[in-house]
Amino acid sequence: MYDVVVVGGGPAGSAAALRAAKLGAKTIVIERGSEPGAKNVSGAMIRVNDLSMFDVKSLPYEREVSKVRLSFDGVQIEMKPKDKLVNVGRLKLDRWLASQAESAGAVLITKTTVLKVDGRRIVTDRGEIEGERVILAEGANALVSINSGLRRELKPEETVQTVKEVYSLSKDEVNKRLGLGEQEGISVRYLFSNPIPGAGFLYTYKDSIAFGIGVHMRSLISHRVRPQDVLEEVKRSLGINELVKGFSLREYSAKIIPENGFPAWRACSGNLFLTGDALGVVNPITFNGIGPAVISGYIAGELAVNDQCGSYESSLMMERTLSQAIKLRPLVKELLKEENIRAYISMTSDALSSWTSGDLSLDLKANLWRLTKHALLLLEAIS
Amino acid sequence: MKVEEKLYTLRYKRDDEPHLKIKNFDVCSRCEKEYGTPQPCISVCPANVYVWDGTRMVISYENCVECGACKIACPFNNIAWSFPRYGLGMSLRYG
Repeated sequence: MYDVVVVGGGPAGSAAALRAAKLGAKTIVIERGSEPGAKNVSGAMIRVNDLSMFDVKSLPYEREVSKVRLSFDGVQIEMKPKDKLVNVGRLKLDRWLASQAESAGAVLITKTTVLKVDGRRIVTDRGEIEGERVILAEGANALVSINSGLRRELKPEETVQTVKEVYSLSKDEVNKRLGLGEQEGISVRYLFSNPIPGAGFLYTYKDSIAFGIGVHMRSLISHRVRPQDVLEEVKRSLGINELVKGFSLREYSAKIIPENGFPAWRACSGNLFLTGDALGVVNPITFNGIGPAVISGYIAGELAVNDQCGSYESSLMMERTLSQAIKLRPLVKELLKEENIRAYISMTSDALSSWTSGDLSLDLKANLWRLTKHALLLLEAIS
Repeated sequence: MKVEEKLYTLRYKRDDEPHLKIKNFDVCSRCEKEYGTPQPCISVCPANVYVWDGTRMVISYENCVECGACKIACPFNNIAWSFPRYGLGMSLRYG
């Protein structure tokens, strides 16, 4: 009999296992991939502060992000990040997170999928185990959480589909093409409106470049266009094809991002605790999914050991990173609407290009209602 | 580059048991009439797993990248979706 069974060896699961094991609980992590990270996809950037519960001195990062660039229809803004941001590969990161949970005493088993939880009985495709408390860190496709009745399936209106490619050549070539120093990394965000509105991202590994897009699932369905075709069109129009010319495609992957979740969904019931993407805690404005995931996992780990399901939801609401992600939901719901993405892209690029040409003729009037409504939602979120 | 070529970059270990199934093929015909071609599951799938041959949906489950979009997109909840068993299916190097 285990004290704590963690379903999923991603960031949320490893943070939960680390905390539970450190508190002396007999803890096991069940991971479906051949190793932690083998089934996990994300952008490639994390805030080091978000991982402070781990020993970040040995964090296996690829490059430190020295420039964050925003790009809308050819207009670019560049900033230096305030906090330490790093580009990471998920396989290395997730292996490292899991190994820290193991060092704290948690047992990790891989290539095993949990099928259902029935009280203290945890049924996997390789047999059953028993556990007092179960932390569900099973990711965006949270089949066990849904079957346990803690939450429902996502709807297309609440889902972003992402596809990503990793191109490799050499360290020197990455540095040369992106104007980077030896260890420097970059993070670029794009907003595009064709063939459908969406957001793009570019990150740097040591010898590779990751480029991907996120588009609203409802847009794919209503425009009858496939994510891979949107990716190709966007790569062509943003000049990514030229940027990676001569590089070879190393990996193609896809992931859905939940844009709804806690507190609309319950975080806890009886001996079950939801965390990370299974709980729905991504912050789409800051593009941060791993930060909220590890924070929710860490809190769940502690409260599961102490059998405090009752205070889990209030603890999540009080945590700063998580409460911000939750409060931004109404704004995000608005911004995901196609007409709003289109309006902001054209407004921003008009404003910036008129400013650079010395004639600031920003047409705020036409968008006054939109701007006011969204500003109010933003104020509510950050207050 | 075609998606089928992109999928060669992934390591696959095939599960002989399909992890994706259509519950009722008649529902796919109804979906095609109501939603037109391609049906929502085809539009959202990044790996061309679903092909409509005019009368039925053919599923190349071995190409699946396990994103889970199709089960959400299906307006009739007609896809029985699970993970490949024993960690089979695709594995990533970067992720």
